[in-house]
Amino acid sequence: MTALTTAALGSVEASLAAGVSGVPLAVGDISNLFTSPTELASVFIEGLAKASLYLMIASGLTLTFGLMDVINFAHGAFTMYGAYIAGTAVLTVGVGSMGAVSSVGVFVLLIIGVFVLLALLGVVFEVALIRRLYEYPPIYMILLTFGISITMEELMRIIVDYWNVNSGREAVGWSIPREETVPEVLQGTFDVAGISIGGLHPFQILLGVLTVAGIWYFLNETRYGLFVRAGVEDDEMARALGINIKRTFTVVFAIGSGLAGAAGVMLMWSPLWRVNVPLALGVLLPAFVIVIVGGLGSFKGTVVASVLVGMLDALATWAFQVKVVTFTDVDQLLIFAILVVMLILQPRGLFGVEGQGDHG
Amino acid sequence: MSPESARSLPVPSWAGQYLRDHALHALVVAFFILYPFAYDLFVGQFGLIAETVLLRPRTMLTVLWLGLFAMSFDFISGYTGYLSFGHATFFGIGAYFVVLGYNGQLPLLPGELPFMTLLVLGGVVAAVAAVLVGLIAFRLSGVYFAMITLGVSEILFVAAENFDFLTPGGSDPSDGVTPGTPSGIETFTPELGVPLVDALQVEIGAFGDTSLLGIDLGPIFNETSAAIVVSYFAIGAFVLVSYLAMQRIIHSPFGRVMIAISENEERAQAIGYNTFWYKMGAFAISAFFGAVAGGLLVGYQGFIDPQNSFFFLVTGFALVAAIIGGLKTLVGPLFGYFFLEWVEEFLAREGSGGGLQPFLEQNLPDSLLDATISGGLTVSKALDSFMTGHGEFYAGIIFVLFVLFVPVGLLGTLRLRFGTQSLSKHVSHRLGALGSETEADDQ
Repeated sequence: MTALTTAALGSVEASLAAGVSGVPLAVGDISNLFTSPTELASVFIEGLAKASLYLMIASGLTLTFGLMDVINFAHGAFTMYGAYIAGTAVLTVGVGSMGAVSSVGVFVLLIIGVFVLLALLGVVFEVALIRRLYEYPPIYMILLTFGISITMEELMRIIVDYWNVNSGREAVGWSIPREETVPEVLQGTFDVAGISIGGLHPFQILLGVLTVAGIWYFLNETRYGLFVRAGVEDDEMARALGINIKRTFTVVFAIGSGLAGAAGVMLMWSPLWRVNVPLALGVLLPAFVIVIVGGLGSFKGTVVASVLVGMLDALATWAFQVKVVTFTDVDQLLIFAILVVMLILQPRGLFGVEGQGDHG
Repeated sequence: MSPESARSLPVPSWAGQYLRDHALHALVVAFFILYPFAYDLFVGQFGLIAETVLLRPRTMLTVLWLGLFAMSFDFISGYTGYLSFGHATFFGIGAYFVVLGYNGQLPLLPGELPFMTLLVLGGVVAAVAAVLVGLIAFRLSGVYFAMITLGVSEILFVAAENFDFLTPGGSDPSDGVTPGTPSGIETFTPELGVPLVDALQVEIGAFGDTSLLGIDLGPIFNETSAAIVVSYFAIGAFVLVSYLAMQRIIHSPFGRVMIAISENEERAQAIGYNTFWYKMGAFAISAFFGAVAGGLLVGYQGFIDPQNSFFFLVTGFALVAAIIGGLKTLVGPLFGYFFLEWVEEFLAREGSGGGLQPFLEQNLPDSLLDATISGGLTVSKALDSFMTGHGEFYAGIIFVLFVLFVPVGLLGTLRLRFGTQSLSKHVSHRLGALGSETEADDQ
């Protein structure tokens, strides 16, 4: 269960073969980055793409965690389910051999479909389980969702096991091979004015921007967003004004779960994540880091933190590729180092609200 | 103490009182001592049925060290209310210290030190690490405290998976480290027992000593390897001593302040306690015993990898065990692990041992086992895929049910029913007035 390492493996397989030396840091050609604007630009674009992925996995969490104070440890499991559903659908439809337009069409349909499915699952969990514990100290929410998470993960293992045995494929493993699901147009890289861009990057950035715009619109321009903000501010007062807080929280949790699933669809295509069961934990921990670094209760903070972490991650990956750093999981190390440094310097995170997350 | 009993018995007067105070402890210890004998007897007598229902002694060993780890987790998280979400840090430090220390890979330390020395030194190192982490982490509370401890443990996890320093032989550090691997270092023979008394020391491990206190256990046990039983008693004794030490601290004035911190830290400060240093002390003590648990694991299995030491789920399952057994009950988490392992082994066979699946496999009629459900899937294969190695599935469901319906855990419920100890303020929401009633009759 190398949950965290699977993430980093994709990008570094080549360098791994070359061998990793014992010294984690060695002075190399770091000046390259600053003398070559095209290299800088491609690192920047990769950083944006990574930031978009981080944003997508963290945005659902920031809604439930920041606004409702529900620390959802099952978030990663929702993402993993989203990835599996999408992966299975893509394999069934056979996207790999489709043209550019139809495969992107299928992808958009998938995002919507998975969002709806997991939002419904979120409603079920909220009404049946989560709702019982709103009055409890927050630690109970961690416990409950952690229990849900390990159950969901193991259930997926059982399902995959069952599916493999049923179709006579005894030991295929948990993962769905990425190569079979990515349409050809999005594989490989292309050059724009000498800048090398991964085929998936513009697509990921676009989705990230759409996510930010969608959530911002929901929170600030819709009636429900108003209810949510009112409920967070003072739920007793909001109730007195006739707002159905219970239903509002159900809706927020459903949206959070749906977003987690949609992120899973996106991660299905990312070489760094892939569809497998450890994805659940691999997504959960960075998502938490981003929400905490950005500050609890602040969507703006989450966006800024995603960009920060994404950029640093891209820099670290680049440093690894040019062998300035010879430490395999440097991006994983970096994420938690950011968390620790941030909590030392600014315990409330970048844009944290006083009092949020303190108790318990 | 009653004068009669003191007069009629040829033992010191305090002994009777002591035994009465610890009657429950004595019962539990007796249960754990008799367990391997009972297992052997029942399995010899009833065969497969007993194997299906009873935990294997090898699994009981796991319960012991993981139970100790979960107790140390409860010591800080339950009693002070600061959720140490990266507690695996200390488990890992203890485990890795024993390996690296034995291999002579640590500065200032000669290689091949005795196991007990490494165990205690590893605990001290973990306590120092806890103080360093605490200097930062105790400036925060709530979710922030949990996240910063988690961050530290994840950093160490990634480091343990990647640092080549750990494996000078050139193997992949993520595959784990083994004591005694470098050339020139003798084979690892961990001796556990009373220091300086040779007769009271045994070598633990699957290939360790088979006799205890001069009695050869080989002929007595037919169903279990005698080396496992010897290790079980030695490690069990160590866990018992550790538990009594922690329990002593909880019942000391220091422990009262810890509980005061969990109930209302501001009030404890207002009375004049410097809660910061009390929390640091509690954290260091907890880290010490967490590291000892990790060291015991290495002592028995002579091997450790990052997945089973620094990994997030190591803390996660200690938390699960603590909740099932009862947070803020100290020994409860051990029972929690016992229960958890029992459920997992019963419903999900791991490796060679026990559980419901081999029982069904043997006792269901062949016609049913070979019946096809769909495709190439027979009932037998379905049983195999649902009941082999998926223990976490059942553990998760049980855990959710506990959180919802038995939030005080097994031991917590018993103590509530029979009212021997104060109960956690954590559950005051649910228990309301009941919780404050039991508060009064505290020993």
